[in-house]
Amino acid sequence: MQKNESLYWNPVLETLPQEKLRALQLKKFRRIVEWAYHHSPFYRRLYEAAGLEPGDIKRFEDIRKVPKIEKGMFRDVQKNEPFPYGDMLAVPCEKIAVFRQTSGTTGTPVYQADTWQDWEWWAESWCYILYAQGYRESDRVFIPFGYNIFVAFWAMHTASEKLGCETIPGGVLDTEARILKMKELRCTAFGATPTYVLGLAERARKMNIDPAKDLHIRRITVAGEPGGSIPTTKKRMEDAWGAKVYDHIGATEIGAWSYECTEQPGGLHVNEGLFLVEIEDVETGEPIAGPGRQGKMVITALDRVGKPCIRFDSKDVIRWSGAKCDCGRTFRMIEGGVIGRADDITKVKGVLLAPTAIEEVVRCIPELGDEYEVCVTKEGDLDDIALKIEIREGKEGEQEAILARLKDQLRVKTNLGYRISVHPLGSLPRYEVKARRFKDLRKHG
Amino acid sequence: MKGDMDNLAIQVKELDRLIQAMRKLVDELHEKAGGIQAVERNLDRISANLKMLEINVSDVRDLL
Repeated sequence: MQKNESLYWNPVLETLPQEKLRALQLKKFRRIVEWAYHHSPFYRRLYEAAGLEPGDIKRFEDIRKVPKIEKGMFRDVQKNEPFPYGDMLAVPCEKIAVFRQTSGTTGTPVYQADTWQDWEWWAESWCYILYAQGYRESDRVFIPFGYNIFVAFWAMHTASEKLGCETIPGGVLDTEARILKMKELRCTAFGATPTYVLGLAERARKMNIDPAKDLHIRRITVAGEPGGSIPTTKKRMEDAWGAKVYDHIGATEIGAWSYECTEQPGGLHVNEGLFLVEIEDVETGEPIAGPGRQGKMVITALDRVGKPCIRFDSKDVIRWSGAKCDCGRTFRMIEGGVIGRADDITKVKGVLLAPTAIEEVVRCIPELGDEYEVCVTKEGDLDDIALKIEIREGKEGEQEAILARLKDQLRVKTNLGYRISVHPLGSLPRYEVKARRFKDLRKHG
Repeated sequence: MKGDMDNLAIQVKELDRLIQAMRKLVDELHEKAGGIQAVERNLDRISANLKMLEINVSDVRDLL
């Protein structure tokens, strides 16, 4: 560590005692509600319909009086003026500096509007992430990302620059060229989805480059999928690259709200200085304040002004951790990242199934390739669940034993039987951004 | 622990005092920019950065 170098990006917020963090969150929550009420026609309508005025929020408990918003509302409001965002906007359209949109995984994409201040705020929230994961100005950071309309790693790029890291945009390069550029420049860090981290390693090996030995990567930030918090997937990535892998969770409509620190404590810190996270029981909506019990996340971005995000029912299923992290940050942690999505956890053959459970099993069998695909269909009245896998080179002769182990583990972890088919290594789809491995075709007739 | 918090409070107050002085200066510059885009647009960017200083420091001032 350099002289006078802080352990934290911002010790003022990151070590603030919990009771003071709550006071700060209340103060900022009132401020953002007041702002939205007076500047966003959508929020004004929403709050007036609920009979709520900003002054009604006096105590922390009053926050729950404020109506929640849902993804569908983001979409519906886009039909209103001003084009193309609709009247959730809290600033005139000419103050919008940055357009992004969601990937549309769950429906029509949401157009996201950010003012220049909001974009600074995106970079700022990512600085908390990168600094906590050990990024310093001596790092040479590669961004193997398409730099398109999705926010994805744009904010990592700007935060990396802000931190003083040498930042290399790997935009239009293909996967092989990206690997060669990382090698050529002796890059020390990069960010990608877990799927692409594994895909890059696989391609490098085909090029006779061992990422763990021939490259200089020391740390990798993953986002966009749950793999960074699934221990078996994380181990695969760390083994492949000989580097530490740190998770981060964020969303276009919300911001970069959580991060794993270098202690890798089995959970992610919620940035409680910039966000307010509430957890509610999925069925009853009752608040869950303590550790251990999972529920869905309701989140507020406390400082985002262009298109405010206030009490957004994200459907992400999380649970508070009771552990105290050795890093010294007072921000609370969520255990194991996002466990699933309230609308993803589905019943198959009468059994509740979270797609992440399948990933955990597939990735714990080292003879299996990195890719897989799950497809749920209905044959008459019966659900059918098919799993496509690949077997690593040189392990084809052990197929029978591998499949038996896979079936056993799946049965133990998910209580379900699968129709498993083996496919040639490299034949299943590879993804650069968000992988779509779980397909529930029952919902589409 | 209390001593640490007291020191932090003193530091935050001093930082906030300087941040507010910067804010005043930026506002004054805005008033005097007279429509010069090269001044106003750069001030917008400075203002956004100032906001980050306020989020990181000034917002906490009264809580310590």
